[in-house]
Amino acid sequence: MPEIDLSAANTLSPHELARYARQIGPGVLTIEGQARLKAARVLVTRAGGVGGPAAQALVMAGVGRVVLAHGGALHTADLNRQVLGGEDLVGQGRAVPFARRLQKLNRFVTVEAIDHEPDQQEALRLAREVDLILSCAPTFAERLCLNRAAVAAGVPLIDAAQWGLTATLMVLVPGHTACLRCVYPEDPPFEESFPVLGAISAAVGSLAALEAIKLLSGCGEVLAGRLWLIDAYQGRNTQVQLQARADCPECGAAPPARATDTANPVGT
Amino acid sequence: MKIHIVYAGRNYPLSQQMPSALDLPAGASLAAALAALTSLLEPDTALPASCLVAVSGTHAGTVGRCVDRPLRDGDELLLIAPVAGG
Ligand SMILES: [Zn+2]
Repeated sequence: MPEIDLSAANTLSPHELARYARQIGPGVLTIEGQARLKAARVLVTRAGGVGGPAAQALVMAGVGRVVLAHGGALHTADLNRQVLGGEDLVGQGRAVPFARRLQKLNRFVTVEAIDHEPDQQEALRLAREVDLILSCAPTFAERLCLNRAAVAAGVPLIDAAQWGLTATLMVLVPGHTACLRCVYPEDPPFEESFPVLGAISAAVGSLAALEAIKLLSGCGEVLAGRLWLIDAYQGRNTQVQLQARADCPECGAAPPARATDTANPVGT
Repeated sequence: MKIHIVYAGRNYPLSQQMPSALDLPAGASLAAALAALTSLLEPDTALPASCLVAVSGTHAGTVGRCVDRPLRDGDELLLIAPVAGG
C-alpha cells in the first residue's frame, strides 16, 4: 500500500461524508480508505479513450489530487472514445479543458493539467510527487518511460491499454511484482492508428481507476502482479500471473520499494 | 497430447490462419510448441518477438525471450501481441 499522509488535514468533513455516503460501507470503502483517497495523488497520462474515463472515475471517487497529462489537440476521429470533451473542442488542446471539466465534477478534489507528454526527466519528477501512475498512453515508448519513472520512484504503475475490442490491464508494484519492462523486454512494434471502440477503452479505463482506488484506499483485493486480458471480440476474460525477470534492466538488480508495509504491499 | 492455442491482442490476423490446437508428443516443451506454430506460418515470417506467452495462466516471457518448460495435455498456450492503445 502506498505511504499516504493521513494527517488531520485529510480527515473527511460532514459534506464529504455525505457526498461519498454510497461508497462507504461493507464491500466498498472504509472511512479510513476514503480518507486515504482524499490524501492521494495520482498522475494520469494521457487523457484519451482510456485515461479520460480513468481520470473521471478517480475524481468522482474522491482522489484528492489528479494530474492529467496530455499534449496535442483533439481530432474528429478521437470523438468515438472521449468522455471529457466533444465536438466543440476539436482542434484544441485536451489537458486544460478536460481538467476544467473534471474539476466541476467534484469540489473536494484538485485537478491539474499538464499540456504535454512528460519526458523521462519530468516523468521521474512527477513520479516522486504522486502515489500512483495510471499509464494510458498510446505508445509503448511512453508507457516504458512511465515505467522507468515509477520503478525509480518506487510508486505503483497501472498500465491500461486496448486494441480493437481487446484490453489489457496490469497492476505493477515496484519491489513486489514484475515491471512493464519485465513484461516487454523487447520494444513491441508501434501502430499509430490502432482500431478502437469507446466502449472497450472506457471499460478498461474505469477498471484501471478501480484498481487504483483499491490500491490507494487499502480496500479490496488488488490485481497486483497480474495481467488481466479482456478480449471482448472473442468473449474471453483471462488473467495471467506475471513473472519478474531477474535480468530486467529496470527492476532486476535492486527493485526499490517505497511502500512501508512489505507484508501487505498492495492493501488487500 | 493436445495443447489449446489462444491468440489475442493484435494477433487476430494470425489467428485466422493458425490452428486453435496442436497435437504434440507427450512431454513436449513450450519451445517445441512455438516451433510447431512457427512452422505453420508463411515462409520468412515469424511470431512477433514481443508477443507475450503464457501457459495455463502463468507468464512464460515473450516469444523472443521465453523460459522453456514442459507442457501437459490440455494446457492452454496464450499468445498476446502487446497492445498500447490509450
Ligand atoms: Zn522489470
